[in-house]
Amino acid sequence: MIYLQNVYKTFGKGETAVHALKNISLHVKEGECVVLKGSSGSGKSTILSLMAGLSKPTTGDVIVNKKAVSKLLDHFSAQFRRRSIGFIFQKFHLLSNLSVRENIIIPLIPENLSPEEIATRVEDVMQTLSLTPKASMATRLLSGGEQQRVAIARAMIHKPKIIIADEPTANLDASLSQAFIEAIRTLKQDGKTIVIATHDPLFFTLDYVDRIIEVKNGEILL
Amino acid sequence: MNRMFNFSLIEYALLSITKRGSKNIFIFFILTLLIFLLSSVLMISDAIKYELQTTVSHLPEITLQRLQAGKQVNIPVQRLDELLSIEGVQTAIPRVWGYYYFKAAGVNFSLVGIDAYEDQYKTSLQNIVDEHNMSALEKNNAMLIGSGVQKVLQENYYQDFFNFVTFDGKWQKVFIQGTFHSDLSLEANDIILISKTLAHSIFGMPETEVTDIVLKIANLREISTIITKINNLYPDMRAITKDDIRVSYQNIFDYKSGFFLTLFMVSAFTFFIIIYDKASGLSSEEKKEVGVLKALGWSIDDILKERFYESFILSLFAFILGITFSIGYVFILDAPLLRDIFIGYSQLKPSFHLPFYLNFGMVAILFFLSVPVYVAAVIIPSWRASTLDADEVMR
Repeated sequence: MIYLQNVYKTFGKGETAVHALKNISLHVKEGECVVLKGSSGSGKSTILSLMAGLSKPTTGDVIVNKKAVSKLLDHFSAQFRRRSIGFIFQKFHLLSNLSVRENIIIPLIPENLSPEEIATRVEDVMQTLSLTPKASMATRLLSGGEQQRVAIARAMIHKPKIIIADEPTANLDASLSQAFIEAIRTLKQDGKTIVIATHDPLFFTLDYVDRIIEVKNGEILL
Repeated sequence: MNRMFNFSLIEYALLSITKRGSKNIFIFFILTLLIFLLSSVLMISDAIKYELQTTVSHLPEITLQRLQAGKQVNIPVQRLDELLSIEGVQTAIPRVWGYYYFKAAGVNFSLVGIDAYEDQYKTSLQNIVDEHNMSALEKNNAMLIGSGVQKVLQENYYQDFFNFVTFDGKWQKVFIQGTFHSDLSLEANDIILISKTLAHSIFGMPETEVTDIVLKIANLREISTIITKINNLYPDMRAITKDDIRVSYQNIFDYKSGFFLTLFMVSAFTFFIIIYDKASGLSSEEKKEVGVLKALGWSIDDILKERFYESFILSLFAFILGITFSIGYVFILDAPLLRDIFIGYSQLKPSFHLPFYLNFGMVAILFFLSVPVYVAAVIIPSWRASTLDADEVMR
């Protein structure tokens, strides 16, 4: 499903260059739930960013669903993210001046779907995540847990096969973290391929996590 | 199901306009104000140019004056016969006119002597003569007044008549027979039409003298030859052609346009400061939004389209509103404040109405100088941000 082959990622040039990833090779199978663990700055988020096509490797290949994501042109790269990836960011990255409903439909806008289809999908996903009563509320007025549910809804609205979550519980308290873990369990049961980057120990003992991969100083520890 | 046109993108653009409320309201207000100012200035200028051109086109081909010691003096009426004998001169019409200062209002009226059975030297006067009983003017010791004069007289409690003070200090009571409205508001508002006899008596001019003489010429290409003949015949006479008057009007107009040019430049400068601010980069919030949209599957193309719709809708509405306000301000309200700068050659500030003359070329130039420039100023920095990796923009 997801292959990273001899991937290097360097930020900057010359003496100030930062080598974020060094010769990373990784394979995530379809339906698998993989946790990338490591401290801050270890390179976990960079791996997720490459998998989602948000950035390109300096060298090496990133192949997702048999597509060389790292070599796609902007239009196809965007289409790939839109149709295959649901990304849950650490800081949620919701647009604070938009309502819950408006945030959730953002990934659907370029698809040029009919208003009826958009409405059906957004109602479904809001119902699943108990967001319907908050639909018209500006996201800046929501609690952290509610904001994360909006972020999950936004990641699920286009029914992606792959869910990528970057430090999803970093801004949540214990009970909200538990709720998130249960939401991910549902996604796993639905057959989604899930990659989570975290240093939250809660994830290391979960029964539905298939593999835990440790990343340190831009390298995978075997 | 894909549709031909992505209305969701337009909806999102509209949403963005409303959600970034205060900032967009400010930009919308400034754009509307600038377009309103610029288009008002240009509309007033175009309308007055149009009015002046219309006025000039109604003027006689040649106006003859007599100069003595560099000053204009009356012309003996006997010269008419000599002038008419010059080949190419169709008619020669003597005019008796002058200014009458109305002290109480502090304004000058233009008194024009009219002969009921004589051909008038311009169509507007001929129309007035045709519409009113001019022979009754002389008989009843009456006058016809322009709408501007009527307003001033009414303000000074003269409803039915006016007492002129003649050259020798006597009172001359003249009844108001009627009022006329002219399409050529600028020239007609301060005019009082009276009989030639009455004009002579108020100004103290002998019956054998006239103020000036206007000539109608059969062949316009002969004008310079005819002027040469007149100068040879009467060296003390000055011939003013329609072109001379046109140039003179244009000079007055151009001089006054200087004020407007200043206003124009201030407006343009303000607009380009806004444009420069917009084009010089996105705020961190805007950059983050571009990154989030890219991360959620928007292509550069989608982001630029959305920014295009957003800026185009905003600037187009500001443009339409600015132009609409201008039309209302200039052609319905008659441009209060600004018009006074232009209307200087009539001593009487007339209640004149700017003719509705919309120069579509000017509207198009304003459009291309505002809407596409603003759209470009929004799109260029968005394009710069959207070409970067989403990851990089969001950091």
